[in-house]
Amino acid sequence: MDQEKLYTLLTREIANELTEAEAEELQQLLQQYPHASYIREIFMKPWQETGRPASTEQLSDMQARHLQRLHASDATPRVTTEGETPVVQLAKRRWWRAAGIAAGIALLIAVGWKFIPGRTTAPQPQKSLATAKGIRSQLLLPDGSRVWLNSGSKLNYPRSFAARGPRVVELEGEAFFEIATDANRPFRVQTKAFTILVLGTSFNVRAYPQEDSAVTSLVDGAIEVQLDKNGQQKVMLRPNEKLTIPSNLFTARDNEAAVTEEQRPAIHLYKQRLTQIRDSITSETAWVKNKLAFKHLELDKVSALLEQWYGVEISFRDQQKKQLYFTGVFETNNLDEVLEALASTGSFTYTKDEKGRIWIE
Amino acid sequence: MQAYNELYLALCGQLIRFSAAIVSSFHLAEEVISDVFITVWQKRHQLKHVENPVVYLYVTTKNLSLNTLQRNRRHLHESLELLDTAAFQIAPDAEKSMISAEVSQKIESAIRSLPPRCQLIFRLVKHDRLSYREVADLLDISVKTVDAQLSLAVKKVAQAVRFDLSGELVTSFLHLDS
Repeated sequence: MDQEKLYTLLTREIANELTEAEAEELQQLLQQYPHASYIREIFMKPWQETGRPASTEQLSDMQARHLQRLHASDATPRVTTEGETPVVQLAKRRWWRAAGIAAGIALLIAVGWKFIPGRTTAPQPQKSLATAKGIRSQLLLPDGSRVWLNSGSKLNYPRSFAARGPRVVELEGEAFFEIATDANRPFRVQTKAFTILVLGTSFNVRAYPQEDSAVTSLVDGAIEVQLDKNGQQKVMLRPNEKLTIPSNLFTARDNEAAVTEEQRPAIHLYKQRLTQIRDSITSETAWVKNKLAFKHLELDKVSALLEQWYGVEISFRDQQKKQLYFTGVFETNNLDEVLEALASTGSFTYTKDEKGRIWIE
Repeated sequence: MQAYNELYLALCGQLIRFSAAIVSSFHLAEEVISDVFITVWQKRHQLKHVENPVVYLYVTTKNLSLNTLQRNRRHLHESLELLDTAAFQIAPDAEKSMISAEVSQKIESAIRSLPPRCQLIFRLVKHDRLSYREVADLLDISVKTVDAQLSLAVKKVAQAVRFDLSGELVTSFLHLDS
């Protein structure tokens, strides 16, 4: 406990935010923990920047470039005795620069406006993050939970979560969540297919509207997958389990309000272990670490993965090749490397047409 | 103009690193900072009310950097959630702190293991000497969060050093101290 206090006080000393009473307390604690003096010493010395340190020459070069731009943008009109052309150029550039600055100021005002206290509107305003094909993104939610968003996906979330009640986000596509624990505010992920109820945990959700099933994979913690609106049907998952749900189920269920419990058709859910490819790599979550991983997967599905990952289109000239199975882990931004590695098995060849579409034959 | 040039030289280094963490390019960052200072120059008569010029420059840098990001459509995120931490990394000066390169490396990797925003807060406070209030205003978070995030960093470094510290080192240090 004292140790924690010690770190807190050291922190404030570094930040120059110590009160007098705290300074005294720190002195006492330092006597109790001699090793801390050593750490303190390291912190109190100035630190240097790692990576490219800017030399004095670089600085003055930079300043020269800056002053040149500044003069070019200077709004005060200048008399030029030289020919016509430079004047025109100057005016043009000035106009462009002025537009840029106007935009900058507008942005400043816009941002500043948001910060004015008391302007927060009552219903939680929603924010949204969407990724295009071939692009992956990461964000920190207002509660400290972290989300990795795979390509071609969209996440809706409130600008801030309510102080009470569940934290709810909506997902279309694939995302990996690391949820900050808060027993009073359960976390919920809503997809078209199901709702996931969470305490503190990390898990992956894959629910692309164009795919024929939706999958939830749990890495750590505990989650419950709720399949209907009123919470009658729930499936509990344990770490390293995944649940696959056919997506046609949900379109069908919308008009079954009148169907009673007995008449409800049996739902075919698949509960499986996560696919371990190598130590610590599972195909369900490898994308979070920027790795593309699959195990014993049909080329048909592999090519769908590649399409999403690299934002390309892949088609089959020879339909039978769809049934080939592949296993692999890739960490590259180069699609050709992946295709070549797969084709090097000798089981298929590929060509690119002039539109960039890839044909497997 | 003299004062303006001095301001540029004094702050452009750290502002560029802050911007580079957002736009993930030193080249772009240099332009952003140039734009920031151009804005400041053009508005110099309206800026008399600005209480804290340093924070004003940081906030302007943040906004113009995010603006640049959006214009270039390099990434799709729209706030400070994805940071290129390599741009603003700091580490102890091994010679001046009388520590081995090994310990220095341990500290560096301890810092690097922290969440990006935590690393940024640590740098802004430790290296750029911003106050809690200033960091809170810049990043749109509470002073309490700044304090908590920073102590997370301090704890992490302290633990890294402690586990690595041979008894010898401690005694030799205590010796020096006494």
